[in-house]
Amino acid sequence: MGDRLTQLQEAMDELLEMFLSAFFWVERHHDLKTFGPNDKIPDLKADQPKEVDTKSPEEYKAGQLQLARDIIVKEQQIEYLISTLPGLDNSEREQIQLLRELEDDLVTAEAQRQEALKERDEVLGKLDALLRGLERP
Amino acid sequence: MDSSEDDGNKVAHLWPDPPAFWKDFTPENIERYNALKQTYAQQHGLSSDALVRIPDVPADLINLQPPPEPVDGKWKLYGQQEALANSLQSLEDAGIQRLAPASETTSDSKHFDRGFELKKLAKSLLVNYLELMGIMSINPAHASEKVQDIKTIVLNFHHILNEYRPHQAREQLIQLMQDHLDAKRNETAAVRAVVDKAKRLIEGLASIEIPKVEDDNGRKAVEVERAALAERREIAAWQEADALFT
Repeated sequence: MGDRLTQLQEAMDELLEMFLSAFFWVERHHDLKTFGPNDKIPDLKADQPKEVDTKSPEEYKAGQLQLARDIIVKEQQIEYLISTLPGLDNSEREQIQLLRELEDDLVTAEAQRQEALKERDEVLGKLDALLRGLERP
Repeated sequence: MDSSEDDGNKVAHLWPDPPAFWKDFTPENIERYNALKQTYAQQHGLSSDALVRIPDVPADLINLQPPPEPVDGKWKLYGQQEALANSLQSLEDAGIQRLAPASETTSDSKHFDRGFELKKLAKSLLVNYLELMGIMSINPAHASEKVQDIKTIVLNFHHILNEYRPHQAREQLIQLMQDHLDAKRNETAAVRAVVDKAKRLIEGLASIEIPKVEDDNGRKAVEVERAALAERREIAAWQEADALFT
């Protein structure tokens, strides 16, 4: 179990970053339009830096689709992370209760382990003596 | 000690002198303080590790024990206020509109709703972004309100996550202890298995019988047989031992 909260916070930051870059992309590559029949798009002089770098309609649509898809995927990742947050169904009291039980279990498990180790040493000694006896049948 | 340190030419020092009480920490003083602590702990039936301060320390040892906790629970560190109770600043205090209903922080409250709230916030973030794009394409002057909305949502989102941190910390502790427990139980089981195997081996060794000599006629043959049997027995024992320790 990784640190889901940090993952989630980072995913959120990434999502915001994607918002921003998508925004800039759209702002940079959109087409120019006139609002009324009297409007005119001024022709830029050659040496003036271009305000927008208009893409062809297909390219623009494809780009938009790509960006939108990425954002949706990120959003789904975030929702997945939310649903895997650890212990959504545990209350604080239950957690503390669980911790107490685990503590007790650990103590008994440790006692059992020590017992087993002792038994192992005993049997090992027995076996050792036996094998030593075997050396001269 | 070099007396030039006390000459008063402190201007030459790059860093301020350490507090004067550092000279009190001599080995003898530390010994005496520890002894005092031990006796006090024994008198009051406390563990000396849990004991932080003891009352009525002799004046020359007073600097050896840590200062008491600040009474008002606040102190300054590197010019910043620190508090004993490190509580999370609430959204209202930070001047942010709260979107999710304030979660009651009783110890029995579950967190199903929290996950739900987070998902709702994430969804509305998307909607707001879409709206922002729409507004920008029609009337960029009105966009700042929408940006403010997005900001509020994001701050709320992060706030809920931060509220969640203590919960996750406990959850991780539980996980850690569970792993520890499992590892211990596995180890015990493995040790027991080996012990059983060894016991069986011992029993197997004990059950090998040496055939009795039946009559004098075949004594020579029996002796040859016995030698062969002993050899076989030894080989068998070593094989079993090998199997056990490989």
